[in-house]
Amino acid sequence: MAADALLAAEQISVRYGRSLALRPISLSAEPGGLTLILGPNGAGKTSLVKALAGAVPLASGRVSLRGEDISLLPAHRRVRRGIALVPEGRGRLPGLSVRDNLILGWHAAPSAKRGTATDDIAAVLKIFPGLGDRFEQDCNSLSGGEMQMLAIARALLAKPLLLLLDEPSLGLAPQATARVFAALKQLNADGLAMIVVEQKAVPLFAARETTIVLRNGETIFHEGRRPSPDELAALYLGEGRAA
Amino acid sequence: MIELLRRRAEPLVLAAIILVVIAAGFFGSRLTVYNMTITALYAMVVISLNIVLGLAGQVSFAQTSFMAIGGYGSALMSLRLGLDPWLALLLSAVIALLAALAIGRPLLRLRGHYLAMATFSLALGTFSFAAAATDWTNGTIGISGIPPLSIAGFALDGAGSFYVLSWCACAIAVGIFALLAHSHIGRAWRALANGQDIAATLGIDVPTYKLLAFAIGAVMASVAGSLYVEFTSFVGPDLYDIGIIINLFLMLFVGGRGSLVGPILGAGLLTFAPQFLAGLEQYQNLVFFIFLLVLIIVWPAGLFGRVQDSAPLQTILPIRLRRRTGAP
Repeated sequence: MAADALLAAEQISVRYGRSLALRPISLSAEPGGLTLILGPNGAGKTSLVKALAGAVPLASGRVSLRGEDISLLPAHRRVRRGIALVPEGRGRLPGLSVRDNLILGWHAAPSAKRGTATDDIAAVLKIFPGLGDRFEQDCNSLSGGEMQMLAIARALLAKPLLLLLDEPSLGLAPQATARVFAALKQLNADGLAMIVVEQKAVPLFAARETTIVLRNGETIFHEGRRPSPDELAALYLGEGRAA
Repeated sequence: MIELLRRRAEPLVLAAIILVVIAAGFFGSRLTVYNMTITALYAMVVISLNIVLGLAGQVSFAQTSFMAIGGYGSALMSLRLGLDPWLALLLSAVIALLAALAIGRPLLRLRGHYLAMATFSLALGTFSFAAAATDWTNGTIGISGIPPLSIAGFALDGAGSFYVLSWCACAIAVGIFALLAHSHIGRAWRALANGQDIAATLGIDVPTYKLLAFAIGAVMASVAGSLYVEFTSFVGPDLYDIGIIINLFLMLFVGGRGSLVGPILGAGLLTFAPQFLAGLEQYQNLVFFIFLLVLIIVWPAGLFGRVQDSAPLQTILPIRLRRRTGAP
């Protein structure tokens, strides 16, 4: 575990009733670093990011952010500390316009870091200009790609130090996926730490990256490189090794 | 498109309601003025329910309990303690607020059906207590002779003066709802109505926002409950029975959850329906509830609610007819 880690999770596990969804795992995230969490359905990927975001309680272990133990902090307070989650399914909020969504994100930022809503929203609209054309529209009318961009824009307005993305490419057309990952790559290059959950390898690369592969809640790969497609297939099929 | 039309029509409907209220005040019969006053008071309770359910998405049946705190509080404090009726109304609202804060925390940990069941039990318990605690409430006989409210020595005991008071109070409730709905609090409520987990990851303190909706709704319902008993000069357990709870929900669902004018339209429709359908005698209720059933099937979001998903009418049609109408 890097001593200067932004986020450090030590032996965290998640349990739903009697079922252990995520076996103890340790990981860290650094500014500008990328951690890729891969695994098939039911591997425990979503449980892991939810545990880091505070959306599910830890069964064991501890999570610290810049050295401060945040294991018992509820999700809304972790957002103010700098952990933003882009949830699986993009967190669609029917009835709220694109503007409402962005203002919600802006309100989530610590007041010391916040500019005016107009300035901060204008800054994220430069990253996702398409959202500006839909500003007053109900977010439920957005396409999957646009909604994903809105969910990321909303999270960015909270001024995170660490962005957690749960399957950002799920259900997106290739062009939309490319646009989303191009934006993420730029944000990561600008120093934003990211933990990205996906079922398959994604076109997102960083100088400092770690890949974790989960299967049935267990870590079976944890290295500073990406597994090759053949290696990943073998890991998914249960022919790989445990980390 | 329909959604947009409805949203744009809301200010016009609000203006039409204001005109109707003014016209009824001047030209309405005694029965019309009476029913319009009842409409205004029920609209206040429905607006309070609209905050809890329409905005914050919490299915709570507790509004009649808070109405009862207002009703019995005003009656007991003004009759037995001799307090000024305004002070009694205010203190009752404070008691309702404290009760909402005390029971809200544990109750609002529950979600969905569990919250509905718990608050339904609370409403049933309130009704039973009001009927059984004869020393306090005079049981099923109720308490009558509640002194009227007065302003600058002028007693508001006439139909006309209370008509003005009740619609002023209703207008304040509409204003509070509009302010809240368009504030950050309203946005946060609508976010948590869509999903508490998502709301929490957007930095929204879900338990606090839920409690806030519950508490504001409680105070509004309590004030409406106080005004109701000041108007009728009577309080009894029948004012808070199961039929009233169901009526409040019907008023909201017919008018439209989350909308500004929906609660007033819903309250008006359910208050005036018996008058309009009086000629049908024993079929009155049957015809009215068939009408409500059809309305909810054809117009599930209510008159001014938000249109979501597809119209259920299409989904209940046979597949052959769905194809013919172009429905999915």
